[in-house]
Amino acid sequence: MKCFSVALALAAITTTGAAAQSFPLTLENCGHEVKFESAPESAVTIGQATTEAMYLLGLAGKVKGTAVWFTDVLPEFADANAKIERLADNTPSFEAVVNKRPGLVASQYEWYVGPKGSVGTREQFHDLSVPTYIWPADCVGKDNTVGVDGTREELISTEIIYRGLTELSQIFGVPEAGAEAVANLKAREQAAIERASALKLEDVSAMFWFSSSKMDADPYVAGAKGAPAYIMAKLGVENVVTSNEEWPTVGWETLAKANPTYIVLADLQRRKFPADSIEAKMEFLKNDPVASQMDAVKNGRVLILDAHAMDATVRTVSGLELLAEVMEKQAASQ
Amino acid sequence: MNRMTFGGLTPAVSLVGAMAILLAAVSSALVIGETVIPLSTIWNVLKLEFGYSAPQVNPIDQGILWSYRLPRAILAMACGASLALSGVVLQALLRNPLSDPYILGLSAGASTGAVSVAILGFGAGVLSLSGGAFIGALLAFGFVAWLARMARGEGASSTSSLALLLAGVAGAQLFHALTALIIAKSADANQARAIIFWMMGNLSGSRWPDVYLAVPVAALGLGIIFSHFRALDAMTFGREAAQSMGIRTGAVMAVLIGTTALLTAIMVSLSGAIGFVGLVIPHAVRFLVGVRHVLLIPAAALAGGVFLIMADIVSRVLIPGQTLPIGVVTALVGAPAFAVILVRSSRAHSG
Repeated sequence: MKCFSVALALAAITTTGAAAQSFPLTLENCGHEVKFESAPESAVTIGQATTEAMYLLGLAGKVKGTAVWFTDVLPEFADANAKIERLADNTPSFEAVVNKRPGLVASQYEWYVGPKGSVGTREQFHDLSVPTYIWPADCVGKDNTVGVDGTREELISTEIIYRGLTELSQIFGVPEAGAEAVANLKAREQAAIERASALKLEDVSAMFWFSSSKMDADPYVAGAKGAPAYIMAKLGVENVVTSNEEWPTVGWETLAKANPTYIVLADLQRRKFPADSIEAKMEFLKNDPVASQMDAVKNGRVLILDAHAMDATVRTVSGLELLAEVMEKQAASQ
Repeated sequence: MNRMTFGGLTPAVSLVGAMAILLAAVSSALVIGETVIPLSTIWNVLKLEFGYSAPQVNPIDQGILWSYRLPRAILAMACGASLALSGVVLQALLRNPLSDPYILGLSAGASTGAVSVAILGFGAGVLSLSGGAFIGALLAFGFVAWLARMARGEGASSTSSLALLLAGVAGAQLFHALTALIIAKSADANQARAIIFWMMGNLSGSRWPDVYLAVPVAALGLGIIFSHFRALDAMTFGREAAQSMGIRTGAVMAVLIGTTALLTAIMVSLSGAIGFVGLVIPHAVRFLVGVRHVLLIPAAALAGGVFLIMADIVSRVLIPGQTLPIGVVTALVGAPAFAVILVRSSRAHSG
């Protein structure tokens, strides 16, 4: 029987010329075993990372609804996205999601669909025969029960992003699209790393400032094991933050004394705290009696990065490219 | 009866003693921080800032000491003193040992005000987060006071403390619900953060302008409350007893509750709702100096100020490279301390 299906699969390969996905497909996903008898007809995505991953795989046509938007959709997907219903800018309700009769619910965070999911638990969806898929970056090597935004047990890697893309492409029976997307991102990542290592810079450090709850208060910065930490590690840049929380609160006193070479500011579209805006962050760096004395501020080494690239998403590689480019310019001007 | 001695010391001596304790607390807050700054550097910065000549120091060190640590310590002192004072007053007036400055719904109102400014954009850039918190706190207090007045009806003055307490509970619930509603309408991945600052309290980001507001306010509050120490003594026996002693209880209550509401609203708007100080410090100080307000009021102000400076130091050094919300530290110390008070006082009653 097994031989027979292998033979069938081989036949499929030889006839179509591409590795078609064989079903049933069983995946281990964030502590759950999810099984697909065939490729789902449709999906609802919760979280911009899974939404844009679907678009990148050319699966926009399967997406019936999206929710949880941090920033504008990537320009290359703007047209496709305009045709798809946005269920909610933020957390959608359970019924709004299942009402779309999705063949799959793909969530970026366990915060939305998980043990204490604000949309629902995975079991709630499975009871209605709606399979769920969690973006693996949110659970592999990460403990979501510790810290405000979870705590990483090991340094994240782009491999986990590639795994998410590969698995989504397998679920929808288009593994070749996954392979292509991963190959593209890998090539870009490798190129950026090579550019940075060619500079042979030493003692370069950085901090990523996400936001602050009050303008002068201790800021939220990128922890030691999230996507920004991976970007820094790959480019040979030291992260001045040592906490393993995803976005720990670290005092300006500590940050100023660490005096990083670069300060990377998150460009957020939400406006919840005054410090969400780039202008307010710049203003603080210019006027604060301590932060204004930091080398990065005095020497204009403050850069701006799309906040969504600071998460493990299809945009992370562009964060790598940006920092590598700035380092290159810096090295050239010296 | 020598009313004006403080624990057997003359006022002058105890004033000097209090100043010495405060100075020691502020000094340790200057020396101990997230990072290590050598004592010699601290000494040089102080000399430079007071206009003496000293060798140049690293501007980052100078900024950290003079613009971060010092105003933060002074603000902690003013906040701690104000909260402890408010606790003393409310526990006496409401004759309820569980009263704390937030019982009037002020902290709930402050967080509603802050999220209204931050998320809904009330005030269109003119109003700061702190301004919003202050207005929210006053609105909540106004609501609670109005509700208590309605509930009390005419005449039945003996129930008014209870009415105020219950109105406070209702007001706090209402404003918490409003905050939750605003957050739910605009939630995102790290929505928990918005409210933590105001609910747990946070002294990070304290700067000199905050000090210029907090210190005069705290001093004024201390003055007003201290000038009512006899009335407060009398009120602990109930309103009828106080009235029979010739105290205009209605006026006294209005002045003192208004004062504590303003004190607390301003402190919450600067530092968030730091818990347990206003609840536990008055009890602890009563153990040390007794129940007479002539001693209790200044002692609580001193103890509250010093306690918050110390708690703030702990919050900065407990986890290296990271600061804890100060409310976590005050609760960690405050909750067990409160348990001890509870057990001891219930034993005293039953024995």
